[in-house]
Amino acid sequence: MTLNTADFRQRALTNARYTADLIPQNAIVAGVARSPHPHARIKNINTAGALAIPGVLAVLTAEDFEGIRLGHNDSDEPVLTTVARYVGDEIAAVAARDQQSLLRGIEALQIEYEILPHAITIDDALDLPTSIHDSCTDNITDRFQAARGDWYEIESQVDIWVDNTFETAAVPHAYLEPRAAVVHVKDDCLELVCGSHAPSMMADHYRPIVASWGSQLEIHTPAMGGSFGAKWQHSTHLICLLFAHRLQQDVAIVLSRRDDMIAGRTRAAMRFKMRIGATATGKLLAKETMLWSDNGAYSLHGPAVMRAATFRADSLYRFAATRSEGQLIYTNNIPSECFRGLGITQSTFAQEQLIDELAKRLNIDPIKLRKMNTVCEGETTIHGWQVGSCGIVDCLDSISNRINQYRRNQTSATNNRYRIGYGVAAFIHCIGNRGYDQHFDRAYVKLTAMPDGRIRISSGEVELGCGTVEVLIKTVSHELAIDPQQLDVVLGDTAIGPHGMGSFASRTSFFVAFAAEDACRRFNQMAQHELLQNIEVTGIYQPDNVVVPDESGYGNISAAYTFGTHGCCVRVDSYTGKVSVEQYWAAHDAGKIVDINAAEGQVIGGVMQGLGYALTECTAVDDNGQLLNPGYLDNRVPTFADAVPVDVIFADTFENSGPAGAKTIAEQPIIPVAACVANAVHDAIGVRLNRLPINPERVWRTLNHDTNS
Amino acid sequence: MNTRLILHINGNEHSLPDAWHGRRLLDYLRHELSLMSVKEGCGEGDCGACTVLVDGEPMCSCLLLGGVLANRSIVTVEGLSDDHRQRFAQLCEQHGGLQCGFCTSGFTMMSAWLAEGGSETGQNSSDKLLAGNICRCGVYQQLKKVIADLL
Ligand code: FES
Ligand code: FES
Repeated sequence: MTLNTADFRQRALTNARYTADLIPQNAIVAGVARSPHPHARIKNINTAGALAIPGVLAVLTAEDFEGIRLGHNDSDEPVLTTVARYVGDEIAAVAARDQQSLLRGIEALQIEYEILPHAITIDDALDLPTSIHDSCTDNITDRFQAARGDWYEIESQVDIWVDNTFETAAVPHAYLEPRAAVVHVKDDCLELVCGSHAPSMMADHYRPIVASWGSQLEIHTPAMGGSFGAKWQHSTHLICLLFAHRLQQDVAIVLSRRDDMIAGRTRAAMRFKMRIGATATGKLLAKETMLWSDNGAYSLHGPAVMRAATFRADSLYRFAATRSEGQLIYTNNIPSECFRGLGITQSTFAQEQLIDELAKRLNIDPIKLRKMNTVCEGETTIHGWQVGSCGIVDCLDSISNRINQYRRNQTSATNNRYRIGYGVAAFIHCIGNRGYDQHFDRAYVKLTAMPDGRIRISSGEVELGCGTVEVLIKTVSHELAIDPQQLDVVLGDTAIGPHGMGSFASRTSFFVAFAAEDACRRFNQMAQHELLQNIEVTGIYQPDNVVVPDESGYGNISAAYTFGTHGCCVRVDSYTGKVSVEQYWAAHDAGKIVDINAAEGQVIGGVMQGLGYALTECTAVDDNGQLLNPGYLDNRVPTFADAVPVDVIFADTFENSGPAGAKTIAEQPIIPVAACVANAVHDAIGVRLNRLPINPERVWRTLNHDTNS
Repeated sequence: MNTRLILHINGNEHSLPDAWHGRRLLDYLRHELSLMSVKEGCGEGDCGACTVLVDGEPMCSCLLLGGVLANRSIVTVEGLSDDHRQRFAQLCEQHGGLQCGFCTSGFTMMSAWLAEGGSETGQNSSDKLLAGNICRCGVYQQLKKVIADLL
């Protein structure tokens, strides 16, 4: 997309164009036949009936994508499959002149299935007599272990243990713009238009495939209606690409909301068995974690998410010893994928509740207990993270002050029906991860003097609403002393480049700001001896103090770390079990804040998503793997009526390794929300809700000692 | 049967072709008239991204079939006054009233309706009136300020 200072205004005026707005009038439409079974072998597909329908142009099956797999490192997802591994798995694709023919074509496909035993829960998968993937006989597709410190020595010093089992639910990303893709045929090049947070990385994967058909590929990302980690490789892309290649016509697909929720992706459901040990005076000593992560049917970023969830949250505190083990388990559920906060959102739900529990048992204020134990500036955490600026204590203090002040002015007290409670939770998060892709932990920004005298800033990174464009324009206009009106920004267009890793781990603004500064330096240098119109330079940034972590995840993976503390006041209706959040406070250390409006927006938006995760969202699946709530009505994301007042506070920190002292704010705000709410609910009713979501039914059953909770 | 069916869309008269009588207004607006501000978020009446005003009342264009709209007047964002659009956009900029922007046209339509005094219940309950519009980026708090400033 070409953007400039007017871009935000264009979106606000609703003039921005998203993928589905860019479908040419005469484009061929594509659609997918999905498995109705959670686990089944496809014995036969008869396509004759579909092909006989006037208007149906072509059908694709697994054979057409022989040997092609989707995924990051462990690519295990076929484009079209011969074994259905979840309800909704893609079996065949149809291309037609119009929507009606398409639907009739899909209907007319005759697919014979041989039903296989299936597993919807982690326990079922571990007991399943068959394997979900041939390559993985026990259905445990990845294992991870990390141990630090002298466990037995430290264990002997522990005076008090708190332990519990916690379960989080799979939730859909539920971005408002359903997945869509358009492929334009331009001579021997196929141009894929689709929203994605990582177009260059996607192109790296797709290019050799398209080249094997004798074609070239470029990816162009228009405005995107939300991704939150989901919009990455997807079979719909390759289906459209192959149809376009074969038919030599433009092809488009737009998923319905229902299909998007069935065959989109989810945040992995996890089960933690966790315990934390401390001295009688509240010094944290040891933490032990056993994690089972429900990968769903395919891996995508499942291994990365599981690893992060197993141990990363430990780094917030000065534990002397930790033992962590994680397993990633194939089930016949919707494939899981990165989702804002990676796995830290899940593990923080467990860890911060145990810290709260410990504070209650030791009769120490939960804020004080955290202050006694959090890591500080200049320290290296138990997992090798070198902490630069660190505002966690500021954050804890601000939340403590806000809560106390609110409590004093609070008139509605706990009564027989309504119970009031307060909760807090804290987190740590990185701003990049050398371990994700060791070959490419960097960013490029290209500056091109255009014939019309304007300067074009291009990057393979994308705008997710976190202000990437803003950062680029501010940096370049300042460094080149040029009017922002003279700048255009092109993001996520592989034809223009340069290569970009995309938005993972909240890295984008931090990385592009530095790369842009470097590009400006080069630009100014060249401008001394070169005519303006000849200048094209590429700036680069690669953090130099970070390393690829070792096998056990030890090492300084990120150039800086962010911190934060949330607090909330809840009212629990003991008659109905409904939890209402009355007030929410979010204190963040994001380094020096560059754009306060954008930063606050990220926090408030993240908190809203977190509240959905905490209170209402889940993918309800029946025993046969059928998704029971594939829509906004039954899988309830927060609406206007659920909006709670969020008070945003930023710690006053300056990150020496960051651009102009900044760190980043993107994923972070969602991370502590569920734990914060759970702690407040515990404070209100005296019972711990260790499963998500904390919906009225669950709270009611808990209050009424109903064993089905 | 060939009945001439007239729709007034953004002030212009359109004779709805027979083929569209049983199809969604949403698709007619987007595909036939290229009114791309109208977005499809769910197609089931849950998200409000496709909101248009029908005779001044907000409705989900994904739930309306062309054939039931004879002689009705339909307004999309493209048909709102430039004044209102600019003002809404400027307030969104000021308060951070959008991130990805996919929900924005639905909220623009709701704001136009509220500004016309559309709700009988008055401003105080605009939260409830807006509960049919989902913003997954979660900028409700900011949108509240936008709406409050607008009214
Ligand atoms: S698209 Fe009409 S309400 Fe969602
Ligand atoms: S701004 Fe993204 S859905 Fe509202």
